[in-house]
Amino acid sequence: MKTLIVSLSALVLVLALAQTLQAQEKMTKDEWQAQMTAATKQVADLTAQMAKLDSDRVALMAQSTKLDADVRACEDALYALLGVTREEAEAFEKELGDLEKRVDELQKMSDQELVGHRDELERIQTRLKELANHKMAKIPRMADRIRVLEDKVAALLASITKEKTYTVGTWARDRDCLWNIAKKKDIYNNAWLWPKIWQGNRDKIRDPDVIKPKWVLKIPEGKELSREEKTAANRYYRKKAAEPATGQ
Amino acid sequence: MQAFRKVLITAVCAATIALIAGCSNSPSDEEMRKLTDLQAQVKQLEDQVATKQRENATLEKQNAEKNGKLQQCQSDQDAVKKAMGGQ
Repeated sequence: MKTLIVSLSALVLVLALAQTLQAQEKMTKDEWQAQMTAATKQVADLTAQMAKLDSDRVALMAQSTKLDADVRACEDALYALLGVTREEAEAFEKELGDLEKRVDELQKMSDQELVGHRDELERIQTRLKELANHKMAKIPRMADRIRVLEDKVAALLASITKEKTYTVGTWARDRDCLWNIAKKKDIYNNAWLWPKIWQGNRDKIRDPDVIKPKWVLKIPEGKELSREEKTAANRYYRKKAAEPATGQ
Repeated sequence: MQAFRKVLITAVCAATIALIAGCSNSPSDEEMRKLTDLQAQVKQLEDQVATKQRENATLEKQNAEKNGKLQQCQSDQDAVKKAMGGQ
């Protein structure tokens, strides 16, 4: 009798334990239902999101096609205005880009290495002058790129010829004009020699009253003006004297 | 004693039936399969949404670049016209 009671109690206990363990492992029907509902809602939300993304994609593709057409039309109009073909324009931009890359490489070289590239630098300088006269250089952005390259090449050439240079600062900060630059102790220490800088930088300076910040100016050697520099200076003084008074 | 034995066996049977009945509160295998399939579908959709979001972001970036190119071209055109004296 006692054995029977113990056996039955053990059976009930084992069953109860098994039930508890099973309940821990398996979800209840309510939990299943909750997860089904959540997952169904997620599927619906994600499907809606997919549909929205698909429609966005269609709109973006249409916008892309329109932009391609607009860019092409704008470029065609610009090239027509300049009188160049698309092929010429693309070749110009490619050449300019290649030159920019090359000059960047040359800038990373030491002065000693650069000496071996003097001919190349001079060729680049000549080519840049030609490019500056190209029809595409009428686009200010292109003209600026050429000018920046010309300055870089001039600076590189100056660094290997050991020619003295001066980088123009701003009027507000440095009071830089040809007169004041020539007056500097480490330049000529003589303001009257300003025409030397003008004549030595005719490629940049068209009007000696106008110099721009960041220009790298060559400082030619010498302690007095040459005949040409004197003539240029006299021409300038005469022109200034002939100008009408500004009413000050 | 015989009566007690009967009561005890009845009680154990009742408890066993109750416990077995309690087990049937869990979802069936078929129901569990449905849930697993649905969860797999969610995962698949999430992956697809992420891919489409990336693709659309790339397209948006490309369009922004094209738009910048267009504006630059228009600005170049204006500058050239101005330089040519408004022809």
